Amino acid sequence: MSNKRKRMDTLYRWMTYVASSIAVIVLSMIFIFVFKNGISLLNWDLIVNDYHAQFYNGGLPETVTFGTTVAPEDLDSNVYYSEKWGLALEDDLDREGNPMITVAFITADSPLHNINDKNNIDNEEFELNIGNVVTSIKFNDKPSALTVQGAENMIASLDASNDFREIVFSSLGGGIRGSLITTLYLIGITLALALPLGIFTAIYLNEFSKQNKITNLLRSMIEVLTGVPSIVFGLMGLAVFVPLTVRFTPADSANILSGSLTLAVILLPIIIRSTEESLKVVPDDFRNASLALGANNTQTTFKIVLPSALPGILTATLLAIGRIIGESAALIFAIGTAVKDDISIFGKSTSLAVHIWSLMTDEPANIELASTIALIILMIVLILNISVKLISKRFIRRFE
Amino acid sequence: MENIIFEIHNLDLYYGKFQALKNISLNIEKNKVTALIGPSGCGKSTFLRSLNRMNDLIDTCNIEGDVLYNSENVYNQKYDVINLRSKVGMVFQKPNPFPMSIYDNIAYGPRCQGVKDKKTLDTIVEKSLKSAALFDEVRNRLKESAMGLSGGQQQRLCIARAIAMEPEVILMDEPTSALDPIATLKIEELMNELKKEYTIVIVTHSMQQAARISDVTAFFLMGELIEVDETNKIFTQPKIKETEDYITGRFG
Repeated sequence: MSNKRKRMDTLYRWMTYVASSIAVIVLSMIFIFVFKNGISLLNWDLIVNDYHAQFYNGGLPETVTFGTTVAPEDLDSNVYYSEKWGLALEDDLDREGNPMITVAFITADSPLHNINDKNNIDNEEFELNIGNVVTSIKFNDKPSALTVQGAENMIASLDASNDFREIVFSSLGGGIRGSLITTLYLIGITLALALPLGIFTAIYLNEFSKQNKITNLLRSMIEVLTGVPSIVFGLMGLAVFVPLTVRFTPADSANILSGSLTLAVILLPIIIRSTEESLKVVPDDFRNASLALGANNTQTTFKIVLPSALPGILTATLLAIGRIIGESAALIFAIGTAVKDDISIFGKSTSLAVHIWSLMTDEPANIELASTIALIILMIVLILNISVKLISKRFIRRFE
Repeated sequence: MENIIFEIHNLDLYYGKFQALKNISLNIEKNKVTALIGPSGCGKSTFLRSLNRMNDLIDTCNIEGDVLYNSENVYNQKYDVINLRSKVGMVFQKPNPFPMSIYDNIAYGPRCQGVKDKKTLDTIVEKSLKSAALFDEVRNRLKESAMGLSGGQQQRLCIARAIAMEPEVILMDEPTSALDPIATLKIEELMNELKKEYTIVIVTHSMQQAARISDVTAFFLMGELIEVDETNKIFTQPKIKETEDYITGRFG
């Protein structure tokens, strides 16, 4: 008997080991996958750059003074330099993995400092900058030098030609600045809508309402809503909030506001439930003590119960923000899938999660960039998590 | 009748169908300590809570009969319960300071009544803490959390908090049952001081405590008031057999 018992105990113990190892391995594999694919593209430029590249055509004035700066000695093997033009070009890969040629540096006496914008003569700030992508250089006396021929050919063509026509260049596209700003807008507007509504509803349900059939019905309806797939809410957003915002705001299609409204509806039941939970754990001792001191119900709720429930409400807020950042299904309907750089509350746009969706539905799918965005999302959530923990820790230390 | 602060006539109290108090009639005298004793579940705490209408918070609770506070029926529909509770303070079994600073704990009651002036609040806090014999111990940490105090200190803080409302009556529901003997002693000394200014009604499980501090003792059993008399008479010559049995430890 005792031997059998021992074997069973060992078995149970090992089951817990195995189960937790599998869980840890699966979770870390997701992290490793995202990290391995995404880390190579992760840099500050990605975060601050526009998604859509801006193309420019630069021409030169009639008279050109060529530069005389000698090539520096420590040129990398993939960098090619033209002394005459004071320009160094570099072979590189863009965010989709295709070859591109970027400007490595421009010397101070380069004639390219005098280029003018052919499409907009009045553009005073027009300039070729380090990091710009050079698509082609066109000449009047010979064929254009193109990206596919490489930086070396482009420099050689520049040196060989005497009749320069124009240089076509662009900013580096593929950045996520627009989606990042949209995500921040979504967080701000959604929380501003859903938090007060949710918290006050929870206070009503837990502190003021009589516990009867109606409030119980309300509670179970809220519970059901937490389990509804978000795409259903997305449909509702498309059917209700998009027309509403189009009718009453300058918007003319799905927009950030309709997306925020949809997200607020998704979050409302979650916020109500978790706020109610944190109100429930506030001991009745506090309520009794406050009431016995001649405070009324409202004073008791807002001066005693609510502050005590604050750490719980903060956690609910964090969960809500996580949900906003991560939500994609509902937003595909409610704010659209077009990646935008100029963000307006009343315009179409994508959040980071929808940006991933949009990249993965492109042909071909860009897994690297999607993983990089996933990595950025993970980091945002991590930072939020830590900061909320620190805040609630401060509260707890003050009170207990 | 001048000395009577609470007059209770034929009080019946039901929790749903269960009758917790049966036809209680009792007068509580001003500036005296009245002790309510009896075995667990005899209704003494329920009776105490019906004096400041804390039973209102229980949905199933139903009350019949009159509780006259300064000759006014507190169960009258129009009676201002907020006013009642600010005049009849309460100290609970478990010390329950609010999770805020010592100062804010004491100032909470007056603030809820609309006192905002800092100097007035400072005076109230200091006076209340002195009355509760706590001021010297916490003088330098008024802004610190009340949760950092010991159990006995927390209970005296709760008494100070009740005093800050300048009540006429302080109800105490087994105030020392969660405390060690030394803290208990301090609270009892405090009660002896407080009875000069306040009327105290205390529920206690400790017969010795009732004997030490109270002037009048009421014995409850199964929701009924069995006997009420001056404390020394109850403890020396009880008129009713159940009282004697309980006091001598034959049951309960």
